[in-house]
Amino acid sequence: MNLWNSFYTGLREILSHKFRSVLTMMGIILGVASLLTTFALVEGLAKKSREMLNSLGGVETIRVFKKEPPREQVHIADLSPGITIADAEALREHATLITAVAPVYEQSATLEHGEADYRYTIRGVWPEHVIVQNHKITAGRAICQLDLDEAAKVCVIGSRIVQELWPKDPNVQPVGQTILVNSRPFTVIGVLEHYESEDAKRARKEGRPVPPSRYGSRFDPYSRKNSTFLIPFTTMFFEFKSAGGIGSSGSSSPIPSFSSSKSNSSTKDDPGPNYRLDELAFHITDPQKMAEAQAEAHKILLASHRGIEDFEFENRVEWSEGIEKQNTQIKLVGGIIASIALIVGGLGITNIMLASITERIREIGVRRAVGAKGTHIFVQIIIEGTVLAVIGGLAGLVAAFGLLEIIEQATSGDSQGIVNTQAALASFIFAVVIGVVSGIYPAWQASRIPPIEALRYG
Amino acid sequence: MALIELTDVTKRYTVGAQEIRALDGINLKIDRGEYCAIIGPSGSGKSTLMHLLGCLDTPTTGRVVIDGVDVSRASDGRLAEMRNEKIGFVFQAFNLLPKFTVLDNVELPMIYSGKSAKERRARAIAAVERVGLSERMKNTPLQLSGGQMQRVAIARALVNDPKIIFADEPTGNLDSKTGATILALFRELSEQGRTIVLVTHDNEIAANAPRRIVIRDGRIVQNADNWHSGLRAAPSPQEAHT
Ligand SMILES: Nc1ncnc2c1ncn2[C@@H]1O[C@H](COP(=O)(O)OP(=O)(O)OP(=O)(O)O)[C@@H](O)[C@H]1O
Ligand SMILES: [Mg+2]
Repeated sequence: MNLWNSFYTGLREILSHKFRSVLTMMGIILGVASLLTTFALVEGLAKKSREMLNSLGGVETIRVFKKEPPREQVHIADLSPGITIADAEALREHATLITAVAPVYEQSATLEHGEADYRYTIRGVWPEHVIVQNHKITAGRAICQLDLDEAAKVCVIGSRIVQELWPKDPNVQPVGQTILVNSRPFTVIGVLEHYESEDAKRARKEGRPVPPSRYGSRFDPYSRKNSTFLIPFTTMFFEFKSAGGIGSSGSSSPIPSFSSSKSNSSTKDDPGPNYRLDELAFHITDPQKMAEAQAEAHKILLASHRGIEDFEFENRVEWSEGIEKQNTQIKLVGGIIASIALIVGGLGITNIMLASITERIREIGVRRAVGAKGTHIFVQIIIEGTVLAVIGGLAGLVAAFGLLEIIEQATSGDSQGIVNTQAALASFIFAVVIGVVSGIYPAWQASRIPPIEALRYG
Repeated sequence: MALIELTDVTKRYTVGAQEIRALDGINLKIDRGEYCAIIGPSGSGKSTLMHLLGCLDTPTTGRVVIDGVDVSRASDGRLAEMRNEKIGFVFQAFNLLPKFTVLDNVELPMIYSGKSAKERRARAIAAVERVGLSERMKNTPLQLSGGQMQRVAIARALVNDPKIIFADEPTGNLDSKTGATILALFRELSEQGRTIVLVTHDNEIAANAPRRIVIRDGRIVQNADNWHSGLRAAPSPQEAHT
């Protein structure tokens, strides 16, 4: 008895009891649908997190933070200048596994253009800043080394700043225009891309209202990135930081440490500006060499901090791993719950098959009388269960798409599932396995009925 | 060696505390090509005996050897092979699959003997033609008369070209005229050299067969074994019965 024959027989049996078969399959259909939906929704969430991670600079970005030195170094902690521009320069000069270094001075400032004036945090940066922060320029150009050399009064601005300073003119081309930063004229040389989540982008393209951020507008990383205001690092230093902080009124940034500046200048060849940085980040060549790059940077910074370990690194590998780990966990939990549904569906198959076997004992007897072995009957019933599960599984996959559509509509596009082939295949295979397994008991029962009793039945 | 040989065969059923001896010490030999009728009153054990012969059941004690195979201790799988290859069984109740067409019903035994779809179809058509039902191949059993259904069952029994055909009251559900055509079919098959054993209530039908085995209370009470070896030496059916 070949497989095709059993398959055909199974199919015929299923078709001759359409309603019962659909009822039987319902458990599998819903089980597969919920399993795949769970996977797809988690995948959707994961994609959002990854997008956000990328928009914040990706896994290649490592940030340097200040930390309390270890206890045995506390008494000599003052020897260290802290995180300064010297660190950035040392990294730029000596590190081999680092592609770009981005030191930042921050300063709160008043921006003015025409009627509009706003307070913003402006940032003095190196040209490499755009690489490290994954910035994209849509109009004009980025800050270059020449701007730094000349301490040019130029700025690169984010989309939100454009909106705020030109509130009545949505199609404005700000490049080349002049704005006032703490009353000093600055020329806009570049505009950054409008950063947004894929969802928001899609919503905007389709003309739907943009869904509110999950983080609230204040903490939304996209909206923060859109509020970027960049000027050359040197310009920041000379215009706003030096000479006792001209125009630093209302500044929230830390007061520059002159003592460390002095102590540093006495030991270094280049006694350049040495105020504490507000932010220091760098980009590594290869995320695979995260540990090596970090070790190298550690060595370099330890030298410029005179052996005081008052800094630490933060990379997004952990964050990224955290995202993946969380995804795996949600998938696991959701998967278990959906699997229970699928197993219940399997029990439904078992139950209905047992009932249908009682109804079909006579048929089994006839088959046995003409030469079917117990194993033939066993295989036949297993195949019937499998065919049910295969059809149910396929229907479940289709149903999953419907379910995802409903969920997307119900959450107005906020919860979007991403169906990947792997998850679909896994759900389907699981359903088929359930189908096979739930057929085992009825099949075994059916195969054990002695031929003569099966014939005499009913 | 006989094609079928039973030695001290018993079959007992225990229902509660009661023990029923359906067969009680049966010794029987049937040769190749014989045509014999088993006759006896209701409850005498005819069907029980047929089931043992047809490898549908095994005896409580004793040996059943069919075509050299001891089927009294054979495995389920071996018994299925015997039923499939060497035995065709015709039931009183036809036992056709109601949802299958005539052709599909006749093909059924070949599904379990691993024949190709093409061969199955060809042989099934030949068997259906053999029993004179070529017009009804695509019908289902429920669209046929009783006699036609029994002919489908016979076609199914023949399709794997078995050595022996067992028929348990094949005419029991048919009127006498239809029954006669079925019996004629068995005669023909016998003349073609097939071994045939049929069970009947009916003396007239039994008289039709060259050999007659009378069974009562699970024992063979008469075995007109010489009937087929020399017609003149055989007692008349009436004599044998009393
Ligand atoms: N499965 C069973 N369990 C218990 N007793 C049984 C079983 N099968 C048959 N018997 C008993 O065995 C005896 C022989 O039964 P069997 O069916 O062989 O008789 P039969 O000669 O075919 O009768 P009939 O002419 O009515 O068909 C009967 O007494 C019957 O009740
Ligand atoms: Mg009987």
